[in-house]
Amino acid sequence: MEKYGIGQPVRRKEDVRFLTGTGTYIDDIKPDNLIHAVVLRSPHAHAKILDLDTSEAETMPGVLCIVTGKDWVAEDFQPMPTKSAVNKKIDGTPLNQPPRHAIAIDRVRYVGEPVALIVAETLVQAQDAAEVVEVDYEELEAVTDQIKALEPGAPQIWDDIEGNFCIDFELGDKEGTGKAFETADHVVKLKLRNQCVTAAPIETRGAIASYDKDTGKYFLQNATQNVHANRDTFASVLKIPSEDLHHMAPDVGGGFGAKNSGYPEPSLLLYAAKKTDRPIKWIGDRNESFAADTHGRDQATTVEMALDKDGMFLGLRTRTVGNIGAYCWTVGPFTPTGGSARTQGGPYYIPAMHYTGIAAFTNTMPLDPYRGAGRPEGSFQIERIVELAARELGMDPVELRRKNLMPADSLPRKTPMGLDVDTGNFPEVFERTLKMSDRAGFAKRFEESARKGLRRGFAIAPYLECTGGGPKEFAGVKFGKDGSATLRVGSMSTGMGQETSMPQILSDTLGIDFEKITYVQGDTDATPIGGGHGGSRNMEVGGSAVLQCAREVLVKAKQLAAHLLNSNADDMELKESVFTDVKTDQNVSMADVVAASFDQSRLPDGMEAGALDTDTIFEREIISCPNGCHSAEVEVDPETGTVQVEHMWIVDDFGTIINPMLADGQVMGGVAQGLGQALMEEIVYDEDSGQLVTGSLMDYALPRADSMPKMEMAFYEDAPTAKNPLGVKGSGEAGCCGAPPAIVNAVLDALKEDGVTHIEMPLTPEKVWRAIQDAKQQGA
Amino acid sequence: MPVISLTVNGNPVTADVEPRWLLSRLLRDHLGLTGTHVGCDTSQCGACVIHVDGKPVKSCAMLAAQADGAQITTIEGLAQKGKLHPMQEAFRDNHALQCGFCTPGMVMMSVALATEQPDLDEPAVRKGLEGNLCRCTGYQNIINAVMVGAKAMRG
Ligand code: FES
Ligand code: FES
Repeated sequence: MEKYGIGQPVRRKEDVRFLTGTGTYIDDIKPDNLIHAVVLRSPHAHAKILDLDTSEAETMPGVLCIVTGKDWVAEDFQPMPTKSAVNKKIDGTPLNQPPRHAIAIDRVRYVGEPVALIVAETLVQAQDAAEVVEVDYEELEAVTDQIKALEPGAPQIWDDIEGNFCIDFELGDKEGTGKAFETADHVVKLKLRNQCVTAAPIETRGAIASYDKDTGKYFLQNATQNVHANRDTFASVLKIPSEDLHHMAPDVGGGFGAKNSGYPEPSLLLYAAKKTDRPIKWIGDRNESFAADTHGRDQATTVEMALDKDGMFLGLRTRTVGNIGAYCWTVGPFTPTGGSARTQGGPYYIPAMHYTGIAAFTNTMPLDPYRGAGRPEGSFQIERIVELAARELGMDPVELRRKNLMPADSLPRKTPMGLDVDTGNFPEVFERTLKMSDRAGFAKRFEESARKGLRRGFAIAPYLECTGGGPKEFAGVKFGKDGSATLRVGSMSTGMGQETSMPQILSDTLGIDFEKITYVQGDTDATPIGGGHGGSRNMEVGGSAVLQCAREVLVKAKQLAAHLLNSNADDMELKESVFTDVKTDQNVSMADVVAASFDQSRLPDGMEAGALDTDTIFEREIISCPNGCHSAEVEVDPETGTVQVEHMWIVDDFGTIINPMLADGQVMGGVAQGLGQALMEEIVYDEDSGQLVTGSLMDYALPRADSMPKMEMAFYEDAPTAKNPLGVKGSGEAGCCGAPPAIVNAVLDALKEDGVTHIEMPLTPEKVWRAIQDAKQQGA
Repeated sequence: MPVISLTVNGNPVTADVEPRWLLSRLLRDHLGLTGTHVGCDTSQCGACVIHVDGKPVKSCAMLAAQADGAQITTIEGLAQKGKLHPMQEAFRDNHALQCGFCTPGMVMMSVALATEQPDLDEPAVRKGLEGNLCRCTGYQNIINAVMVGAKAMRG
């Protein structure tokens, strides 16, 4: 069992399927009688719908059904819910939450908002019919920037929501922080943006809906990260009981948050499936992915730090204004408020902190969690202000960080933001990263770059983040007579490899054959509850549920083994798949115990056949705190502004590592998305028209193989958390927290002789070049 | 509709194709070879790469009708007699895939690179994969896998 145990780099079960082209993604599914849908979307950022005429489209060949806002009104379908954990303003009144219908009723508020669903026998017929749907719009003024949206006189997105204001929020000690600033020797202040980006999974979203008129039940297959919550959302929209909707996710081609939420399209498809009595498929194209997948980040922030004369941090004050787009979406208002507040200040000891977050409506696609959802923003804010402080105080940025990290013996500690940091060793993780970074060789590499007319820079960025997502998770195991086991879990992988790592936990705990474990996820019929994926919760909550389930099985298996050996359950020891009586040395294999569990004649009183089958629910009491440190060395060409990240070194404390190969994969994937945000990615809307400028892969740059540096990684495994039985802290989002500040600060380090102190992300060649020119002019 | 004949993964195929059909569509929707993925409509992502007469081709950027007479290999045709191709093995062994969506195109492109450039080095792999996007892995393991797979292919 060792080979498949916890901590082993077990090769993935799912890979053979994916490598041979036999995976089943949503667009690979083709039920009989399938028909196709396209979504007609708003071409305007803000407009009234004066008239919507589908009469010609309805007569087009193959057209079966067209759904519009009129149907939604006639059916009295319900708006989709928002479940932001922060839902009251500072004054105690509830957040401003406009109704979010699956389809525009009489007004559109962002480019890409669904206006009609056109269903036809073939995709081409649906596309052709969509061309002749006539929508008469009266264009309204649009605003796509959250700061402008809050200004007096800005276009009003909602008639009954004054000033496009959704919610404000504060956390920390305002007064104490104010005092810290008053008494400080130095105050450093920086305005910065965390630009709008999007997850852009390589598989776009899509779904297939059908309706069984004999049973009255709906069936939805959907490229989603979260079947249970979204089932409830769609059911509530359609006013049907949740039990009447079976929701399943097939293999999902990446999510990163963008496949979390309950989107509009599935409700439209379910409704049309009932109307047409045919299964309907909708697959979003790449343009729809950019326009109508939720976006992320987009915060405009002022961050200030107070320091004493020795460079010790005294206070941190952050004020951020987040864009949430035209609606609250599912948890949109949480990100710039509570979501960004918790990890403010990162791993530093800062006695006084105060955070203010505002969420504003604009005419853009709404924002929802994207890999990190608030923690990358927080990490970027603190690391940028620390770097600037070092520059302004004339201190070594490494030294300034070193002296301000939370000492190991200060843990457990509750930060001024209320985050319960239980275990970790920030100084040790920092020093290890530094040691890996080959600082000794830097001077030589710097010289080599200089000889080529290039600049070289280095930066180090420790980070502290936290997990999130639903606190409860289900795990269930069912055994087969042949010793096989089926493991059902309510959390889900969209590529992270839980089909392998979850069976590893089961196999490790119970000594059952890894190869004989079948893994089931993403199916509302298979598990009574499920939190899906989000907030790096898969291992933390899902894995803990599997461990808890396995331990419950073990208790029963010991009883059964004891019965088979005529001894006591307490004397049973499981080792290498064999139960041994520690007193008598008699033994029975786990495989035999499983076989006996199906044979009534071998079972003790009170046990029924199948007695080992176990269902359990684990509930997390408190979120975990993954942390770590990234460092980056970059080379910048001052003539062109091009940045090449040469090398990154990363040490992460994710607590217990279940499968280091998969954990490494999470780190590198997160770093790539972090690098993308740092250097190239940005969702851009035209300021005047509100049109989406970055609607294709030609306009929105994603990192490619040659954009990536060499990454060296290590884990700090000496501080597992006691917050869950596995001791894991979550690994999925860390890369997005550490990489952007490490890379951006390294670029600024490279350009320090040029006098460049700040460049807004993404650090495109043009922006870098301009920053150098501007600094030159200012210096002259 | 023009009738075309071609060989797909060693099997002769005859198909009636509409002039506007893309090759990716013929493979996926009409031949049921759904291992070839479509991730974009601007020929940027590379999820759809297959081999046409031994050369890597983005099947979303070629019309089905143009494949008349061609020898085509898709990801489904790479493993022989149930044994993974060395490049597929290398991808698995190096954890070069997560969600698997970019994987068919990545593997087909990598096999082509290794075939075309027997002395493939790391910068050449990075450059050679320029047209293949992966959003999950950060590429490092893909690059490692291609180096290992290419070596295994050389024997
Ligand atoms: S589908 Fe994206 S390049 Fe072919
Ligand atoms: S493995 Fe998911 S896109 Fe490459």
